[in-house]
Amino acid sequence: MDNGSLQRFYGWFSALCVVVGLLTGLGYYRDEYRPWKDYQRRFIAEEVRRAASPEQRQQAMRTPIQIQQILLPELNRVDRCTTCHLAAEDPSYGGYPQPLAYHPRHDEHPFDKFGCTICHRGQGRATTTEDAHGNVAHWDQPMLPLKYIEASCGQCHEAADNPAAPRLARGAQVFETVGCRGCHKLGGVGGVVGPELDRVGARRSPEWLRAHFLEPAAVTPGSGMPPQKLSEPDIDAVVLFMLSQTGEALPGFYASMKVIPSAAQGLHLFQQKGCIGCHSMGGQGGKVGPALDDVGLRRKPEWIIQHFRDPQTVSPGTVMPKFGFTEAEARALTDFLLHKRDQAVALEIPALMSPVDRGREVFRKYGCAGCHGPDGKGGVPNPNAKTAQQVPALTYVADGYTKPELRRLIQGGQREIPALDPARPPPPLYMPAWGTTIRDAELDDLVAYLLSLKPKGEDLGF
Amino acid sequence: MGPGSLWSWFAATRVGRSIFRVGPPQSNLERSQAMVSSFLLHVQPAKVNRHALRASYSLGLGLISLYLFLILTGTGVLLMFYYVPSTTQAYDRMKDLQFVVSAGLFVRNMHRWAAHLMVASVMLHMCRVFYTGAYKPPREFNWLVGVGLFLTTLGLSFTGYLLPWDQLAFWAITVGTSIAGYAPVVGPGLKYLMLGGNIVGQEALTRFYALHVIVLPAIAGLMVAVHLFRVRKDGGLSRPGESADTVQSLALDQLPTNKTYGLMELARGTTPQVGQNPEDEVFSWPHLIFRELLLFLVVVAFVLFLAIFWNAPLEELANPIHPPNPAKAPWYFLGLQELVSYSAFWGGVVVPALIVTALVVLPYVDRRRVGVGRWFARERRVATMVFSVCVAAAIAFTVIGTYFRGPNWGWVVPWRTPPPAMEGR
Repeated sequence: MDNGSLQRFYGWFSALCVVVGLLTGLGYYRDEYRPWKDYQRRFIAEEVRRAASPEQRQQAMRTPIQIQQILLPELNRVDRCTTCHLAAEDPSYGGYPQPLAYHPRHDEHPFDKFGCTICHRGQGRATTTEDAHGNVAHWDQPMLPLKYIEASCGQCHEAADNPAAPRLARGAQVFETVGCRGCHKLGGVGGVVGPELDRVGARRSPEWLRAHFLEPAAVTPGSGMPPQKLSEPDIDAVVLFMLSQTGEALPGFYASMKVIPSAAQGLHLFQQKGCIGCHSMGGQGGKVGPALDDVGLRRKPEWIIQHFRDPQTVSPGTVMPKFGFTEAEARALTDFLLHKRDQAVALEIPALMSPVDRGREVFRKYGCAGCHGPDGKGGVPNPNAKTAQQVPALTYVADGYTKPELRRLIQGGQREIPALDPARPPPPLYMPAWGTTIRDAELDDLVAYLLSLKPKGEDLGF
Repeated sequence: MGPGSLWSWFAATRVGRSIFRVGPPQSNLERSQAMVSSFLLHVQPAKVNRHALRASYSLGLGLISLYLFLILTGTGVLLMFYYVPSTTQAYDRMKDLQFVVSAGLFVRNMHRWAAHLMVASVMLHMCRVFYTGAYKPPREFNWLVGVGLFLTTLGLSFTGYLLPWDQLAFWAITVGTSIAGYAPVVGPGLKYLMLGGNIVGQEALTRFYALHVIVLPAIAGLMVAVHLFRVRKDGGLSRPGESADTVQSLALDQLPTNKTYGLMELARGTTPQVGQNPEDEVFSWPHLIFRELLLFLVVVAFVLFLAIFWNAPLEELANPIHPPNPAKAPWYFLGLQELVSYSAFWGGVVVPALIVTALVVLPYVDRRRVGVGRWFARERRVATMVFSVCVAAAIAFTVIGTYFRGPNWGWVVPWRTPPPAMEGR
């Protein structure tokens, strides 16, 4: 190689080395520059500004710039949100603009035990705003809008009765009244006409759910689900309830929160343990123990809870046995006795109800109203069904069916609904086979209820 | 002080001399010694034919593949420091690489893009060798080793594809292994062997990981060594007008028996020095070595460039009950997947078997030593055309499978916006 070409080689070599060096530098810079570091610097500057003494100032200046994370192995989460939201636990940062704002009311759910994403969703491992807030491609858990944040309470707490989440409770109530279970399974109970809803909160966005309730066929072409005519707040509430159904398997400590004391759980216990055998409410029940209608006025809460723990300690010689309630159960029962809203509560105790009333409960529990309308009055569209393109009303089943026929129809269902026009798609809604899902005793009550729907004193005179 | 003088200074020091033995070569003797006395350089000859240096002939594709393999080894080891082959952890580790590990995403990008590039460069290298007739005697066996390296490269890329454990990985491997499952008799067994079960799961991840980080790199490394060794033993890079002689058989009985034979006398055969015009030869140092160095820098720079500006894909966590629509295999198998969509038997069995068989028997069928060392030699018109048609078909099917297939493997036009997804979130 003569000198000329050697020189040329060195030229190329140097140039390429510079290119590789520059690219490495650029790659290093892009990796090293992360916006969270700016946020931390801003926080440190603020801390330095606030420092009252030189020592504090020194200390603030020595704050290392580093990733903050909350490890939650039980929840299989690593939440790095506090890398940017450094002041989330510092009340003196109340009212600061994000990301340095204070998170109010976090004492009941301390961050080190719960992290952030269990309630807010988003991507806990991420350390850039877009990725962490989850509005990026290939991340299906974007942050829950604050409007719907109550949905997260439903992951651990009973939706039905959580004073801190009234809209969630309302959503659960709407869900049961409207009759969603007639077609959809939730928690193993419900029909099979529509998809299961156990994980719907993780699969669908609030916008999708909203649009779906208003006009199901618009977001799911071919859907036979009737549009829901609900008020605005109720739509939001039921969307919220749906969002709470994430199907996330919560372990140990978090799952135990399901039995957090609540009046609803108290009512459940009250019914289950057969209190009504000795005590009465609303004039119904046993006479062995005192009536419990106004026990909240007669006794202090401390007395009542102690009575549940061990009756002898507060009323010596009583015949009431020691049931061995857990502390949470005792609390729940106390809660129930103090807060029961009206006399109707007693009527919800199955043993005291008439078959027709129990049947109404069964009708509600399995969501029959979803297709047959409230009180079986009908009016729910079922396009192309021979029965006036509607799901038949149940008001006059007493005239067309005998008891055994009704039982058979409910248990066996009717998969094929006769079509008005065979050329068009078959009617989307059909009667699912309830088989053994509705228990025998329930079925008796349900039939009794259905037969009672016929208006009194009316005779069609066929 | 330029890099040259810095180098000269270091090589002249006591430490430098202990390492290099020969100082910066000044004479031709020293240039030869520099090549022979260094472990890394002695793999290559002291002198090479000028023809071998022509970039327009070899396009440097073999070297590029080798460099990419080295980059992949380096970045792969770095990734191994963080990766855990567990279905519950792998995906989280990917996220940690991206968000908290210094240069984690950068290294992963390099690994990903270098892997795609290597598959491409190995394929192009095969095309170059075909079009220049370089697989003809005496290089038939090295072509075979090359086919082995090609398959190993595909295996490396394919096994690596699963490791991030995202939707892309899970379903690409699901589709890819089902293509293998279409083979008659051995197909289902082969699929079961690969996955360690009937579906992609922890067993499959464990196997793919072991294959990806140990088995296949070891095989590839060994075959690279054999491949390079044979390049030299077969007389360097192919060129026009070289002799076909390989090891000449010695008629031992004709040799005088009253003398002792040295190794060099017995082991004769083709080496770059045999039967060639000295005018066509140049010293490897610096002509070959320096060119190789420059090419290495170019390859590194290109991979860095890609890694800086494009991130390696990472989709949602693998979800065995939610297949994407369509689920696609890695790009180099998309041609096959397209064929499978017409007929599982033809696309999954006949065509791949034909391709591999054709590649294996090629150098033993097409033995005529004409047109060696020239691109698209006139004498090899038919071979060139047949091969080109095959390559064009492969490219066409791959492009269709990659860009023109949408939900349910239906036809889509990529430059037209697809209809909104029916089932959004």
